[in-house]
Amino acid sequence: MDVVPFAMGATARSWDEQHLDLQAAAGQIADAPTGGFTAGVSGAAARFASAWQRHATELGDTAEARADGLRTSAADYVRTDQAVASDNRFLLDAVLREAR
Amino acid sequence: MTVVVTLPPAPRAVPELEVDPGGIRAYGADLLAASAQVDDLGTFAAGSARIAGWTGLGATAYHDAIRPTGRLADAMSLALRGVARRVDQHADAMQALVERRTTLAGEHDHLVTTIAGLRDRVAAGTAADAAAIQAACDDCAARVRTYETDLDRWATDLMAEEEAMREAFARVQTLDQVERRYGGVADPADGALDSMPGSGAPPSEVKSWWDGLTREQQLAIIAASPGSIGNRDGIPPWARDAANTVSLDRDLADWGNLEDQGLLTDDERQWLDNARAAQDAITTIEDGTDPVTGLPVSTTLYVYDPSAFDGDGAVAVAAGDLGTAQDVAITVPGFGTDGESAPFHADRTLDLYEATRNVDGTGSVATMCWIGYDAPDNLPWAGEGWDAAGVAGEGMASAGGDRLADMLDGLRDSRDGDPAHVTVIGHSYGSTTTGLAAHDHGIPVDDLVFVGSPGVGGDTDSAADTGVDPGHVWAGSNSRDPVADLGNHGWVHLESVLDGAGLGDDPAEDDFGAIRFEAESIDRPDHLDFGEHSTYFNPDTESLYNLSQIVSGNYDDVLTADPVTDPWYDGPQDPEWDRDPTAPDTDGKP
Repeated sequence: MDVVPFAMGATARSWDEQHLDLQAAAGQIADAPTGGFTAGVSGAAARFASAWQRHATELGDTAEARADGLRTSAADYVRTDQAVASDNRFLLDAVLREAR
Repeated sequence: MTVVVTLPPAPRAVPELEVDPGGIRAYGADLLAASAQVDDLGTFAAGSARIAGWTGLGATAYHDAIRPTGRLADAMSLALRGVARRVDQHADAMQALVERRTTLAGEHDHLVTTIAGLRDRVAAGTAADAAAIQAACDDCAARVRTYETDLDRWATDLMAEEEAMREAFARVQTLDQVERRYGGVADPADGALDSMPGSGAPPSEVKSWWDGLTREQQLAIIAASPGSIGNRDGIPPWARDAANTVSLDRDLADWGNLEDQGLLTDDERQWLDNARAAQDAITTIEDGTDPVTGLPVSTTLYVYDPSAFDGDGAVAVAAGDLGTAQDVAITVPGFGTDGESAPFHADRTLDLYEATRNVDGTGSVATMCWIGYDAPDNLPWAGEGWDAAGVAGEGMASAGGDRLADMLDGLRDSRDGDPAHVTVIGHSYGSTTTGLAAHDHGIPVDDLVFVGSPGVGGDTDSAADTGVDPGHVWAGSNSRDPVADLGNHGWVHLESVLDGAGLGDDPAEDDFGAIRFEAESIDRPDHLDFGEHSTYFNPDTESLYNLSQIVSGNYDDVLTADPVTDPWYDGPQDPEWDRDPTAPDTDGKP
């Protein structure tokens, strides 16, 4: 059995997990409390948090794009690879489905 | 005739300073936890994201694409970590400025009062007083000048620190800035982790490795790989706390995000509950007030593993500084303990801390609840069943004893300077765990305490068998506590007659040879009651009073009790049954 498409599916799910983790990180940065700073610094702290929320979100989006791209590549791979026996297609379909 | 003198100038008032260093640290902690997430992506992209055996144009395109993603993640992680560290330094700097401001404000008020007094002297003085008053005025004027110089310096330092913090934010605001500054820069954590001792290495070897790292490497590991050191014996408490705090903050954010999206698995739900319980335990202690200093009680998150023991979780939270305290107490809980019970045990930990501080305010104290083993998480007397595998046998206690001994070795080895006076207090099934740790491993403690014990392990027939000087083996046993009545008495050994069931000898019995201390409660019933099993750490009880005396090493002040006896012609006899209980003050509150 060709293991490559299964590895691609599993890796795609890992990219999905990275996407979710970075979503969480972006939220954490956005929620970082700026109230402890002096008035002279709190604005800079808020601007920094806002900018980095975007950076983390974009990085997470990149991870999600890698996951989707891998799934597409894996599907293409399977279509052209006769080594994937029909009785393994069911398993493979499950792996290539986006879990979350 | 009027007195003519030159009065000193009025000092300027100290400007208000609205700042909360604790709030600043919270901001930095969020950035640090987020940096750990970003670092994970970098590690993933460079490692397990690569797919072996996949060839062709698609594979090339994929692998070419993930490389810059990983590089960007690594650079972002370093940038975010750097700012988080700078924020932490900013919090320290602002704390110092707050303290300097307090000193300046005190000097200002003193000068104002002095000048008012000089005015009064001028008004009431005569020509003969003029020289003396002028001298006092000159002296005061000199102090005003010194004060004004200090005030200017304080204001300058404040502005400089604010500017430096703003610059630190501005330096890595955009991704272009991040790439220029950190693109391709090696993470100091990577090389340091490569030389980390293997999993079987003794704590002393881990300590040597840690001490051999630079401060930069240590801080990098805490941010980039907190899981590798957070629960590692031999790592000093401050570093474990910092690493576990990063892990906790990250977990709360991760699983909280999944919860918000309805994506939590059942396992993750349990882990999130454990993480929240750990956070609540920390808050419980931080909300406490040191009875001597009046300041909030500091905490150390010494163990944090929310998925340990099939989801029961492991956590240990200390009140006080575990790394420097002269007196250290570790409590080992028993029945009904899991990660979610951490806040309850943290409350007891705080009570023991406060009581010990009240006993000996000149020393330093740290108390810790250690939920670091897989305890029976059922309460048999609450209708949750007598789990034969867990409650009625020593299996879980034995495994827990192994872990407890390792933890104590690690704590001893990780501390610098004079060794602490260490007391281990095993409660309920935790006393069985503690007894087995002592018997099987020879734990490095100064005092060994069993409270509410159902038995201290089948092979421990006397205090001497624990490996601790019997003069430092203690037993607290409430006469109405049915669990404390479960241990072997006299010649009846349950673990032999019931094929392995039973938990060993009652440490409060005369044959055992421990020092029994008073542990009755004033509102005890006239019959056995499982509620009495949970009173040993209650404020204003004999038990907590005695525990605090033992923890602080004030042995002469321990209120001792006569042991249980078990004559051959009758059942166990407890002389405490008829004594009138007392309620010593342990918390200093009415």
